[in-house]
Amino acid sequence: MESVVITITSGKGGVGKTTCAANIGSALAMLGKKVVLIDGDIGLRNLDIVMGLENRIVYDAVDFIEGRCRLKQALIRDKRAAELYLLPTAQTRDKSAINAGQMTRLCDELRSDFDYIIIDSPAGIEQGFHTCLAPANRCLVVTNPEVSSVRDADRVIGLIEAAEKGPAQLIINRIVAARVKRQEMLSTDDITEVLSTEIIGIVPEDENILMSSNRGQPIVMNGKSPAALAFQDIARRITGENIPLQPLRSSGSILQRLFGHA
Amino acid sequence: MKIVKQLFGSRNSADTAKQRLRFVLIHDRAEIPPGLLELIKDDIIAAISARVPVDRDGVVVQFEQQNSESRVLVDVPLLALNGERKGTKRRP
Repeated sequence: MESVVITITSGKGGVGKTTCAANIGSALAMLGKKVVLIDGDIGLRNLDIVMGLENRIVYDAVDFIEGRCRLKQALIRDKRAAELYLLPTAQTRDKSAINAGQMTRLCDELRSDFDYIIIDSPAGIEQGFHTCLAPANRCLVVTNPEVSSVRDADRVIGLIEAAEKGPAQLIINRIVAARVKRQEMLSTDDITEVLSTEIIGIVPEDENILMSSNRGQPIVMNGKSPAALAFQDIARRITGENIPLQPLRSSGSILQRLFGHA
Repeated sequence: MKIVKQLFGSRNSADTAKQRLRFVLIHDRAEIPPGLLELIKDDIIAAISARVPVDRDGVVVQFEQQNSESRVLVDVPLLALNGERKGTKRRP
């Protein structure tokens, strides 16, 4: 198949870009796809620690671009899946260390070896974002059901369209069905209506996510919690499977019974 | 909590998080990538075992920071010619 570069972005920080990148990438790899995750957040890298691969880093993407290593030396193989790799970025440099042309060439070099190249973009709409946008064939925008991140998502969706990288698709992350039901949280319908953007996934708030990042084990690798199921669905939709969006269950009932949380 | 333990194993995840953060911050601050220590370890094993037998599995290479000083601490247990740890043999 032809290689696809997917850039995951959001505008606002802290909405779950890195969690989405780690889990969608892992889920795609668990479907048998060849996947490389690129950390696009130079100077504030986190994909390594969320993936639990931080102690394996010797070289990074900036080392490769500046000629200090070969690309293969910078790629970290994740042994938990058949074909899953991480390309970490530099922690001690800034966003100017890789420009849009260099990122595009880097991705072009990876295309022959991978089905999916997933770039975890930095927050913001400055140079780092544009660098990660440049090679994209597809853009996923992560938002929370909360006014400031939806507003920022709209801005980013506009920039993606202006760069002719659209249409963006939306991931609504950390939604709480019971609060939507009580009408104290924006619903997925509200957000679709405001942003008029297609939704590729709805990820429920799930306390297992914190524990999975504590341990550096993406939640999709550990079974069937609500967020894991949502990320697996997103991965299958990315591969072209037609999986209808699940109506949100009220977490006050089924989820509590399933997981025993108060 | 039972399901959580089944999902993630028994060790509490906050402790794991703290330990991983300690490790990664030492390397972030020192600007030394963590994987480099593994390479240094291989180099040291190669250098020393060229002269005396070493217990490869017992080799510990650690990065340490105190005040503003950084150092690499290396602990290389040696093997006697019979393959036992040197110094473990009892003497009369």
